[in-house]
Amino acid sequence: MVKVEDLSCGYGKEIVLKDISFEVKTGQFVGLIGPNGSGKTTMIRAISGLLPPQKGVILLNGNAVSRKRPRELAAKMAVVTQSQEATPPFSVEEFVLLGRVPHWGRFQLLETKTDVEIAERAMALTGISHLRGRGMGKLSGGERQLANLARALAQRPDLLLLDEPTAHLDIGHQVQIMRLLKKLNTEALTIVAVLHDLNLASLYCQRLILLNKGRLRMAGHPREVLTEEIINEVYETSIVVKEDPYISRPLVFPVY
Amino acid sequence: MMCNQNPKSKIPPGRRPLRAGGQNPKYYTWILWTFFLITILLGVAVFSLAVGAVDLPVRKAFFLLTKGRGTPEYAILFEVRLPRILLGFAVGGGLAISGVILQGMFRNPLVEPYTLGISGGAALGVCVNMVMGGPRVLGPLATSASGFLGAMGIIFLVYAISARGGGIRLSRLLLIGVMVSFMASSLIMLVMAVTRTEDLHGIIFWIMGSLEEPSSFLMKATLFISLGGMMLSFLFAVDLNALSLGEEEAFHLGVEVDRVKKALFVIASLLTGCCVAVAGIIGFVGLVVPHLMRLLVGGDHRILLVASYISGAAFLILCDTLARVVIAPMEFPVGVITGLVGGVVFIYAMSRKGYSF
Amino acid sequence: MLMRAFSPFVFFFLFLSNAFSFPSSTHPPHRIVSLVPTVTEELYLLGAGDKIVGVTVYCQRPPEAQTKEKVGTVIDVNIEKIIELRPDLVIASPLTDHKQIRKLWGLGLRVEIFDAPTDFQGLCESFLTLSRLVGKEQRAEEVLERTNKELEAVRKRIEGLAKRRVFVQIGANPLFTADRASFINDLIECSGGINIASDAKTGIYSREEVIKRNPDTILIVTMGIVGEREKEVWLRYETIGAVKNRRIFSLDSYRVCSPTPVSFVRTVKELVRLFHE
Repeated sequence: MVKVEDLSCGYGKEIVLKDISFEVKTGQFVGLIGPNGSGKTTMIRAISGLLPPQKGVILLNGNAVSRKRPRELAAKMAVVTQSQEATPPFSVEEFVLLGRVPHWGRFQLLETKTDVEIAERAMALTGISHLRGRGMGKLSGGERQLANLARALAQRPDLLLLDEPTAHLDIGHQVQIMRLLKKLNTEALTIVAVLHDLNLASLYCQRLILLNKGRLRMAGHPREVLTEEIINEVYETSIVVKEDPYISRPLVFPVY
Repeated sequence: MMCNQNPKSKIPPGRRPLRAGGQNPKYYTWILWTFFLITILLGVAVFSLAVGAVDLPVRKAFFLLTKGRGTPEYAILFEVRLPRILLGFAVGGGLAISGVILQGMFRNPLVEPYTLGISGGAALGVCVNMVMGGPRVLGPLATSASGFLGAMGIIFLVYAISARGGGIRLSRLLLIGVMVSFMASSLIMLVMAVTRTEDLHGIIFWIMGSLEEPSSFLMKATLFISLGGMMLSFLFAVDLNALSLGEEEAFHLGVEVDRVKKALFVIASLLTGCCVAVAGIIGFVGLVVPHLMRLLVGGDHRILLVASYISGAAFLILCDTLARVVIAPMEFPVGVITGLVGGVVFIYAMSRKGYSF
Repeated sequence: MLMRAFSPFVFFFLFLSNAFSFPSSTHPPHRIVSLVPTVTEELYLLGAGDKIVGVTVYCQRPPEAQTKEKVGTVIDVNIEKIIELRPDLVIASPLTDHKQIRKLWGLGLRVEIFDAPTDFQGLCESFLTLSRLVGKEQRAEEVLERTNKELEAVRKRIEGLAKRRVFVQIGANPLFTADRASFINDLIECSGGINIASDAKTGIYSREEVIKRNPDTILIVTMGIVGEREKEVWLRYETIGAVKNRRIFSLDSYRVCSPTPVSFVRTVKELVRLFHE
C-alpha cells in the first residue's frame, strides 16, 4: 500500500529524514518508533503528502503521493495529528462530520443522510456517541483523542496515519485506543502509528520501524527490533527485554 | 474496508438520533436562526425608515409609495433614508463577513478587516487624493476610487512582503499588516499637517465614516459587490470549517490550503476595500458581529456567514439610525455609535459566561 | 439560497429612485436655506431675511436669524430637514460636506456654493452675486457704496502714518496664522498694517520665525483658543517689540473670521484705532 523509496526530506535546508526505504503492505499494523527528534512525526507528514520529498518518492497504491491533490489523498487516507493547539468551535458531532468533507462534491455544502450515518457509526465505534452535542473545548484529553480518531474513521480511509495516539493518556485510555486500532486493523484497515510506548508498540503492532537520527535503524517484527542491543544503542540507555507471558512479545523494562 | 457493513446495523437503538425526513435537525435550527435574524433586520430597516429629523409616520409609507411621488415626504423616505439603509445593509454585511473570514482563517479572535492595514491604506489613498486636488479635477467618484486603490495597494504590499520566502505564514501576515497600518497612519498625519483647511475637513469627514452616499451608482455597486462577496465566500464555508482545525488538519481533510487562503484573502480584501472606499472607516462591525454570532449560532461557517451578514447589516443600520436621530438635526459619525454600542454589547456577552473563541 | 430569496426585495427598491423633483425655481427664490453664517447675515442686510426658511446653528447674527428653523451645522447638515422645508435655493459653503451637497443636487434642489472670499474685493463681489440671486441688486449697491465711502475715509485718515508690523494668531498648537490668501491679510493692510506672515505657504507658522521677524503688534483671534492664556505665552518672549510695548490684542473671532462688507469696514475702523491711537 505504501512504498517509501530512498526518501530524504525536511524543512527548508534542514534535512530531517535521510535515505529511508520501507514498505507497508495492505492490512498491516505498523508502529513507527524511535527516540525524540528521530523524525517520526516528519515521517508521518511525508507519507500524508504534507511535506514533499526532497529526494526519493513515496508511493500510495503505486502513485506518487506528492503528485496527488489533497482531496484525492484525503479520500484514501486519514491522519490523526498530535497538534491540538486550536480548539475547534464545534460540537463533537460537527467535528466528526468534518471527516466526510473529502468525499463531497466541489459545491456541496450540506451533509447527506449517509454522511450522518457514517459519522454516527464512527462515534459509536470510538464510544463517544454520548458526547455528541458537547463542545470540543469541553472534552478531556482522552475524549479529544477519541474524537480525533472518530473524525479520521468518518473519512472511511484505506490507510490510517496516527501521530502518538496514546500520548498524555492514562493506561485505560491507552489500551482502549490500541484495542480499537487492532480491531479496525482486523477489518482490513492499514495503520501506521507513531508510538512512544515501546511495550504498546510491541504488543499490538505486526511490524515496527525504528528510526534513529533521521535514518532507518531497523524494520521488522517486534521480536527482531526490540532487542536489548538495538534499544540500548539507539536510546542510549540500559534496558532489559523480557517476554510477555500471553502472546510472547518482547517487553522492555528500564534497569534501576 | 472498515465500514463496509450496513452502517445502521451497529448503532445501538437508543442512541440513534431522531431524524425527520432524513434531514439533520441542525438545519432546522439554522433556518430558524436565519428567519429570526431576517425578521430583526426587516424590523430595524422599517424602524430606520420611520424615524429621523422629520416626523413621518411609517403608515404613510405605503400611501406614499403609490401616490406620493413628487412630494417631499416621498423624497425623504425613498431617496434619503432608503439609500442609506441599503448602503448600511451592504457595508454592515460586507464588513461582518470579512471579519468572519479573517477570524476563521487566522484562528485569531482579534483580527478584523482593518487589522491588516486595509483602512490605513484607504485613508492614505483618500488623503493623498484630496491633497492633490483629486475631487476637483476628477469628479466626486475620485474619493471612493482613491480609497479603494489605497486599500488594495496596501493589502497587496502586505501580502507581497509576507509571502517572500514562499508560502503565506498567517502570523507574519498579521504582524506586517499591523506595522503597515501604523506606518499608514503616520503618513496620514504627515499629509494632514501640510493640508489646506478646506481639504483637511474633507479628510476628517471621510475618516469618521458615513453612510451618506449621493451617487446611486456607487451605492448599487457596493450592494452588488457585497452580496456577490457573500455568495462567493459561502462556497468556501466548508473549507473555513476545516481551516478552523488548523492548517495541517485542513490539508489532511483535502483542503488545498494555500489556494483557499489566497482566495479568501482576496475576497475579504475586496469586500473591505469596497466598504471602506464608499463609507469611510466604520470600525467594530467586523470584529464584534462575528463574535456575537459565533456565540449565538455556533462556529459552523455555513450558518455563521449567513447569520453574520444579516446581523452585521442590521447592526449597522441600527447604529446609523441612532446616529441620525439622537442629536437631530445634527448627526454623530456612525463610527461613534458602532464603537460604543458594539463595545458595550460585546463586553457584556463576554463577561456573562465562559466564552472561548 | 438566502440571497436568492432576498434579491427581489432589493431590486424593487433599487429602481425606485430618481422619480422625484422639486418645483422648478421661479425668480427670485422665496424659500432660502442658508448654510453659511455670513450669507445669512448678508441676506438680512439685503432685506431678504424674510425669505430665509432654514439656517445653521452657527447663524447667530442678526438675532432674528436664531428664530429660523435649524438644519444642522456649517459642515454637517440634515438632508431630511432641508427637503421638508421645500427650499427653492440652498446656499452652501466649501465647508459643507461635499457628499451632502451632491445628494441635494441629486434630489433636484438648487444649491449654490459660495466660496470664502480672500479679500475685500471678493467680499463685495460675492455680496453682489448673492444680491443678484435674490433680486436685491439695488439694495446691495447702496450698501456697497456706503461701505466704500467709509473705507475711503479711513484710507485718507491713515495716509502718511507709519505702518504697523502685525502678526495675527488664529490658532494655537500648532501656531496658526493668516497668509496672503486670507482676507485677514486685506483687513490688516486696509487698516495701515503689514502682515508679517503674508508670505507663509500654509497657516502653520513657527514661533521662532515670529521672534525673528519681530512684529510690533500681535493680534489674537480667539477662535477656539483662549486669548488670555495665549497672551501670557507671548509675554515670555521679551525681545518681541509687541511684547515690550504691550501691544497684544484679542479680537472677536466671529466678526473677524466671517465678515460681511459692513462688518469688514467696522473691523477696519477698530483695527485703525488699535494700530494708530
